Amino acid sequence: MRRRARMGAALFGVLALLASAACSSQPQTNEKQTIKVVYQKTDSFTALDKVFKDAKQEFEAANAGVTVDLQPIQANDDDYGTKLALAQRSPDTAPDVFYEDTFKVRSDVDAGYLLKLDDKLATWSDWSTFNEGAKAAGRGDDGGIYAVPLGTDTRAIWYNKTVLQKAGIPVPWQPKTWDDILSAARKMKAADPSLVPFNMYAGKATGEGTVMQGFYELLYGTGNSLYSESDKKWVLGSKGFIDSLQFLKTLYDEKLAVDPADALDSNVWKKVFGEWLPQGKMGATVEGSYAPSFWQKGGAYEWPGYAQDMGVAMFPTQFGQDPGGVSMSGGWTLAVGAKSKNADLAFKFLTTALSKKNALAFDVDNSQIAVRTDVASDPGYQAANPFVKDVSNLVDVTHFRPATADYPSISLAVQEATEAVITGKRSPAEAAADYDASVRKLVGDAKVIQK
Amino acid sequence: MTVFRAAQALTVKRPTAARAGARRARLAANSALAVIGLCFVLPLAWLLLASVDPHAGYQTRWPASPSFANFAAVLTPELLFQPLVNSLLLSAGTAIVNMVAAVLAAYPLSRYRSRFNKPFMYAILIGTSLPVTAIMVPVYGLFVQLQLLDSMPATIFFMATTTLPMAIWMTRNFMDSVPLELEEAAWMDGASGPATLRKIVLPLMRQGLGVVFVFVFMQAWGNFFVPFILLLTTAKQPASVSVFSFFGQHGAIAYGQLAAFSILYSVPVLVLYTVVARGSKFELSPSIAA
Amino acid sequence: MPDSTRRRAIKHRFLRLLPVVPSILLLALFFLAPVAWSFGASFTDAALTGKAALHPQWVGVDNYARMLGDAVFPLSAWLTVVFVGASAILGQNLLGLAIAVLMGKAGGTMNSFVGTAVVAAWVLPEIVAAFAAYAYFSQDGTLNQVLGMFGVHGANWLYALPMATIILANIWRGTAFSMLVYRAALSEVPRDVSEAALMDGARGWQRLAYITLPIIRGSIATNLMLITLQTLAVFTLIWVMTAGGPSNASTTLPVLAYQEAFKLGDIGYGTAIASVLILIGLVFGAAYVRLLRGEKQ
Repeated sequence: MRRRARMGAALFGVLALLASAACSSQPQTNEKQTIKVVYQKTDSFTALDKVFKDAKQEFEAANAGVTVDLQPIQANDDDYGTKLALAQRSPDTAPDVFYEDTFKVRSDVDAGYLLKLDDKLATWSDWSTFNEGAKAAGRGDDGGIYAVPLGTDTRAIWYNKTVLQKAGIPVPWQPKTWDDILSAARKMKAADPSLVPFNMYAGKATGEGTVMQGFYELLYGTGNSLYSESDKKWVLGSKGFIDSLQFLKTLYDEKLAVDPADALDSNVWKKVFGEWLPQGKMGATVEGSYAPSFWQKGGAYEWPGYAQDMGVAMFPTQFGQDPGGVSMSGGWTLAVGAKSKNADLAFKFLTTALSKKNALAFDVDNSQIAVRTDVASDPGYQAANPFVKDVSNLVDVTHFRPATADYPSISLAVQEATEAVITGKRSPAEAAADYDASVRKLVGDAKVIQK
Repeated sequence: MTVFRAAQALTVKRPTAARAGARRARLAANSALAVIGLCFVLPLAWLLLASVDPHAGYQTRWPASPSFANFAAVLTPELLFQPLVNSLLLSAGTAIVNMVAAVLAAYPLSRYRSRFNKPFMYAILIGTSLPVTAIMVPVYGLFVQLQLLDSMPATIFFMATTTLPMAIWMTRNFMDSVPLELEEAAWMDGASGPATLRKIVLPLMRQGLGVVFVFVFMQAWGNFFVPFILLLTTAKQPASVSVFSFFGQHGAIAYGQLAAFSILYSVPVLVLYTVVARGSKFELSPSIAA
Repeated sequence: MPDSTRRRAIKHRFLRLLPVVPSILLLALFFLAPVAWSFGASFTDAALTGKAALHPQWVGVDNYARMLGDAVFPLSAWLTVVFVGASAILGQNLLGLAIAVLMGKAGGTMNSFVGTAVVAAWVLPEIVAAFAAYAYFSQDGTLNQVLGMFGVHGANWLYALPMATIILANIWRGTAFSMLVYRAALSEVPRDVSEAALMDGARGWQRLAYITLPIIRGSIATNLMLITLQTLAVFTLIWVMTAGGPSNASTTLPVLAYQEAFKLGDIGYGTAIASVLILIGLVFGAAYVRLLRGEKQ
């Protein structure tokens, strides 16, 4: 019997070992000044990785004893957002400096993830070179600045001139109304039935791409909007919403856009940039001003002929009403984590990464619209690609997403409405009604307005 | 129908009609199985063929110019070795934690009678039925609270817990089959409890332990969802997660490389399974369902 | 001294059970705590971002009420039932049984071929199996090639029939388990019993239905229970193949919980869905235990 007791004691030792292993599983926090940088990197988006690698070298050389720990996350925008949010919840995994989409800035400020940068920006002389619109992108509800933009963008119609010409459409092409788009697309389809004449993203798979390069170009051209800035309420029941869905339905039903099954593939944009446009299988698509970054030298889908073959047109309003066109702007920022233990160093690294030299490199590589005036006037930037001027001019007609904390879930409701329509599950009116119902549920009746 | 009647019939009928019937039945069974087998093999055929086809698409076809270029392309430290090492650490860690905890727990459950045994075993059984995907949301919340996010050891302990009920159940069954008499003899000779466990019981249930180890190891090796949520740093992610992000980025383009990557990632568990299945009957059922 | 003897005995009993403690600790920390946390969080508006991330509020049964009013949740619950019913209870179970029965009649070579093929799909890591299935069912995938040989122009299965596709994929992936269970069970059916029936002139299916199945009914029940629970938890396969789409047409409960909690950052609602799943699991678990008990008596 004593033997068994001894065995129990021995086992207790093992248990203690197990328990201590469990306790020691907490990550160590003995830093000798490490700045953790989290950002997105994919095979078609390496511009930021390059900037950070340069900035790391520069920064470590200038600040002895400091290590910059670069942690690229290899994922698409959606999954990157999820991973970043997961990491931000916990103080040990929260990054010091990170790459943040503008539309998430406000909700992440509310969540207490972003550090207010006002004091620090006051000491950074370069801050005055940022244009006003750009500064607003990083503003929280309290008016403070929480994030610094890397660049911005606009959206336009990118069309393949040779495809249009083959269908007898004169270039340069500038549709004045939605009907102009449809008639041109039908002409192209008639000339070559195997073509995808005019693509706009739809469905949940393409995430923000669906709304930014699709639905909002339509909605904001109807005179209606998603959110009433004056009332601070979400707009429900607008005719523009239904009309916009109807336009998508027409595009997809008449097979003027890609096959719905393709539209629901989250990699569809790769085919747009990498195959369909370069190979002349697609007439036009609505895409961001960053399109040339994929085709230029060193891009993911190098296409030497893009400068000659491609053209850019402003997306028209529904009936050609003022101001005649629509664009959407977004862009990404760098921010400092609110839980950062080395906030000053982190901010210093942020300024290194956003210096004129690095910002210029990023804007050129990633075909961004510059937000620093000194970059914008740099000859290297202006000559980066033949479309810089065209897409920059669209800033005059551009819109921004509602900068509210609940925007991301509203956006998903919009994406769901487009998906229901292009897959034929719902009519535009039904999908709009579903949308209204989900928005009410998401934000409450007090925060909606019937138009 | 009694055995007696059957035996009688046996001597009479067997040589003629029954044998012909059996042959027919055998032919039918063989052809049915052939069809089923083909259906099961087809989806794998693509994986194998595409991996050696540098120009692979989603079509299954004989490669025009077969080569190992796809394998060469993914055989890089960043893409393959690091994730595989991480997978190995996670799976081996999970299996070891499981073995230790399960053997310890199984011993008193198997050897001593106690009022505690029955409720515990039933609780364990219910534990096996908890859908792990459902507890991932709360587990994430818990990890945030305990500041365990992105920690390999913590992830190992969690993954071990998900398979622990099954491991305890299996280990106890294997231990039950080791006769108590051998142990008692050892006690007579003055061996201590831990010593008999180590020297007598464990060696005798070596094969069973092997089955438990491989079972747990395979579960951990193939697990995607748990490390996907709990491990955030790319450098810590196992192959399951890196295969997924590879698919997200290259899925529409580098089909062949995806297939090659998948095969390299699958080989270790296939080999392990084959070894164990050959050595001992890897029929999970008796141990799981008993 | 009866008292000290008793104390010794109690101490003894405690020491004996000591080795179980590590397991109990692990299970308590990583199983019980999350389950409790899940039920707790499901009554709050905890979130990944926004104000609620900083200060989650108690919202009572709002999340559960929302479930009932939600258009997606009832659909998702129904799809889960369909998925489990069609792929596990019907598909894996019947196919596994059929293969096991056929193996009893077929030749050794054929058996090892089929056994290997079926088990291979099961041994593969889940994510690899999911890719293979994705490729197989995609527009220009193997299935459509095979159909093309017979002059049938196949659809884009993942898009047109997402539920059927993931059900077939799950049958392909999981049948091995049922097959192994039934092979083991059938190997324990005494030979003379089935031979006796054979001699009585019973036809194959009659023997199966009236003799073999009743004998292995314990294994059948166990198998059904286990594959139901496994299938209830399937996430990766669906996530890779359809991501729950198109338009939520293949969003089962685990996929919905993931979307709500991690993609939309609504931890509160996500845990409410997870809690429902856990409850379903517990109900099945309890039923399973009862079943085994009944079996023993």
